Amino acid sequence: MSFAINLLMALLVAPLMAGVVRKFVRGLVHSRQGPPLAQPFHDLTKLLGKEDLRTSISFLMNYAPTIVLAAMLAAALLTPMGLPAPINAHGDLVLFVYMLALAAIATIMISVSAVGPYSMANSAAEIIGHFTVEPVMVICLLAAALKAASPTMWDLATWNADNAGSLSMVVAAIALFLALIAQVGKLPFDAPEADTDIMDGPIAALSGPRLAQFQLASLMKQIIYASILAAVFIPWGLGYIFPLNVLVHILKVCVLVVLMGLVDVVNPRLRSEQVMWFFVFVIVLALAALGLAIAGL
Amino acid sequence: MTAQELGASLQKKFGGRVLESRAPLAGKLYVTVDPQSVVEIAAHLKNELGCRFVITAGTDRRRQRGKFLITHFFAHDPDKIYLALHAEVDENDPRIPSITNVVPAANWAEREARDMVGVVPEGHPDPRRLVLADDWPEDLYPLRWDVEHGTKPPSADCAVPRRPAPEGTIVVPVGPFFPSLEEPAYFRLFVEDDRVVDADYRGFYNHRGIEKMGCSVLTYNQIPFIAERICGICGLVHSTCYCQAAEQAAGIKIPERAEYIRTIMLELERIQSHLLWLGIAGHIIGFDTVLMQTWRMREPLMWLCERMTGNRKTYGTNVVGGVRRDINPDSYEDVIRVISEIEREWKALYDAIPGDRALMGRLRGTGILPKELAVERCAVGPTARGSGVEIDVRVDHPYAAYDRVKVNKCVYDGCDNLARVLVRLDETLDSISIIHQALPDMPDGPILAEIEEDLPAGREACSGVEAPRGEVFHWLLTGEENRPERWRARAPTYANLQVVPPMITGSDVAHVPISIGSFDPCFSCTDRMEVIDAASGQIRLCSVDDLTADS
Repeated sequence: MSFAINLLMALLVAPLMAGVVRKFVRGLVHSRQGPPLAQPFHDLTKLLGKEDLRTSISFLMNYAPTIVLAAMLAAALLTPMGLPAPINAHGDLVLFVYMLALAAIATIMISVSAVGPYSMANSAAEIIGHFTVEPVMVICLLAAALKAASPTMWDLATWNADNAGSLSMVVAAIALFLALIAQVGKLPFDAPEADTDIMDGPIAALSGPRLAQFQLASLMKQIIYASILAAVFIPWGLGYIFPLNVLVHILKVCVLVVLMGLVDVVNPRLRSEQVMWFFVFVIVLALAALGLAIAGL
Repeated sequence: MTAQELGASLQKKFGGRVLESRAPLAGKLYVTVDPQSVVEIAAHLKNELGCRFVITAGTDRRRQRGKFLITHFFAHDPDKIYLALHAEVDENDPRIPSITNVVPAANWAEREARDMVGVVPEGHPDPRRLVLADDWPEDLYPLRWDVEHGTKPPSADCAVPRRPAPEGTIVVPVGPFFPSLEEPAYFRLFVEDDRVVDADYRGFYNHRGIEKMGCSVLTYNQIPFIAERICGICGLVHSTCYCQAAEQAAGIKIPERAEYIRTIMLELERIQSHLLWLGIAGHIIGFDTVLMQTWRMREPLMWLCERMTGNRKTYGTNVVGGVRRDINPDSYEDVIRVISEIEREWKALYDAIPGDRALMGRLRGTGILPKELAVERCAVGPTARGSGVEIDVRVDHPYAAYDRVKVNKCVYDGCDNLARVLVRLDETLDSISIIHQALPDMPDGPILAEIEEDLPAGREACSGVEAPRGEVFHWLLTGEENRPERWRARAPTYANLQVVPPMITGSDVAHVPISIGSFDPCFSCTDRMEVIDAASGQIRLCSVDDLTADS
């Protein structure tokens, strides 16, 4: 059951949520009628049918988008979404962190191996971008694992549900939420808004089916991160009976995604060096959560 | 100092090297000098008198005089004078000393005169081709009278040499068609560790040959309509500027009501142009909410102009002698209602911008254009005013009804992208105030002066207009067959674009798009799409319908 739910969340709900944000959040703030809800699906299917132009014949370049997508799909199956995750085993937390790292490394590889001055000039900025959310996520999960004294994702969620309101977990939740907000402005597939700066190292180098894979992975990533925040750090509703627990989870994820979309739409795209202080603040906050957890708070 | 006094002082200082000095109208001085002394006189004008270089015009006068005429235009803004420095060059030896070494702002203008009429500026520091296409033959100069309009020479092989990249840098191309500019312009940024070390520009890809058309196939009264199409957003400034020059040459005084109508329409155009620009600036920095909201605010103004003139933009109201359409007194209220609504929303925007930290982060301290550089390279309009240069044609060289309304020079000395945003924000409110002043003051009466006789050949006149992007300047030398012998039009981007390479040097690559965008550049206002079949070499030009179907 949870296998089907997680797969649906990753492959269906993720693009749909992007459609909701584009039509309702962005459309409303822009005073316009947004694109159809199904637009992300149309975009993906269109890209899948397009010619695959390559700027590089390197092995990394050819397979990295697939690696990113596969890693994200695996991470999705390791994420509890209302129910225990389909892959719910002792130590799955470590595997989850590895999957995030694998996706990040593959993304960096795309921008590094791309032949083209835009990608080259900005691979550094791209790498910095990847060292914002992932470390915060890992530190927060580590703090939760310390508190729950378990390396298993579901144990973290249930421990939090039973011991609501511990200081370290509240701080961790705030840090993770801020990290997600920082991430959302960098959603690289936001085509109408990302076309103008000289940036987006990996995106400029990808096209057609490869771009579609990368985009789907990015959409899934958003849902996975929101799910971790919702399931582990805001764990209310876990104990409800099926399907209520899953519905509550989806609702929480929706609220988070809409909030992120709202932050995105009322801000210009910032250069990574301009938000450095923000990243530093968030990482310090996450470390504080870890320290508090070690101190037993 | 009046124009006459300036002419007399030049004659006194340079003696026999100033061959002739005429000041037929207040604020206009035409001086003919010996070609060998242009450098000295130009240096005197710039360094001692503080004149601002405007443009160079090359004219083929072999038919009349057996000579080429090279004219450097300067403006002495504090004394409200436009000055033309004519120098005649022998047709058999078309060379003239280059003034670019003493007046750096003349760099493009002299190269263009060389490309178009073939007078070589000797000692020019960068003598590469500027305007002509890379495959245009070497010895064919389009603005010479014996080259017919529409000449299509066979392709030649004489590509413009590219400037080599400095050691240790990579070249980041911005263009030839860059998404944030959406026009053909090719900047080559020489980049070292995300920092721009130097830059080179190649443009003029869509040169439309409008000046040639004006001097060879159109008549005086047809030119305003093609002039208005020089810019797709602020076209009225060009038709106004041309008409003013033509009226001056013909000695016509246009009715006062026509002057007021021009003033009001020019200010309405400025408001919509600034609204459009602010939206695009928002888009460039990834803030599409600004784009969507400013364009929503702009739309009622476009509809208003359509009700008043029949067109959303490119109004087509100017003719030599006045305007074609009156502003109906019944529609005064309509105008006030629309601009008051914009004023209300604009003030809300005005209050919100300085409080937006994220927006400030992208604008403040980026795209620095120091005042010295702006003065040295003769930047114009909001670009110059954002760097503390107090120039505004509406005040410095009043035209239409601007001497009867209060115009503020909106000047900021921040020298950055933010300062240029603030200048335009202030100017929009100022434009609204100008319309509020002009509308009730507008006298009744005719809107078009009667023109009885033909315009005699050999007269000249020049005029400036403050466009939303800066100073527009037109010069007219009347000719036979009811058309000018030479019509020179300079758009403000021509002056401002030359400032870009020195300005972006030292800045982060990421700030380049918004820094160029902050000038509100306008490269050719022409887009066309051709499909070239690589196998057969066949070219198909896409029509509007094709593009709509494909979009």
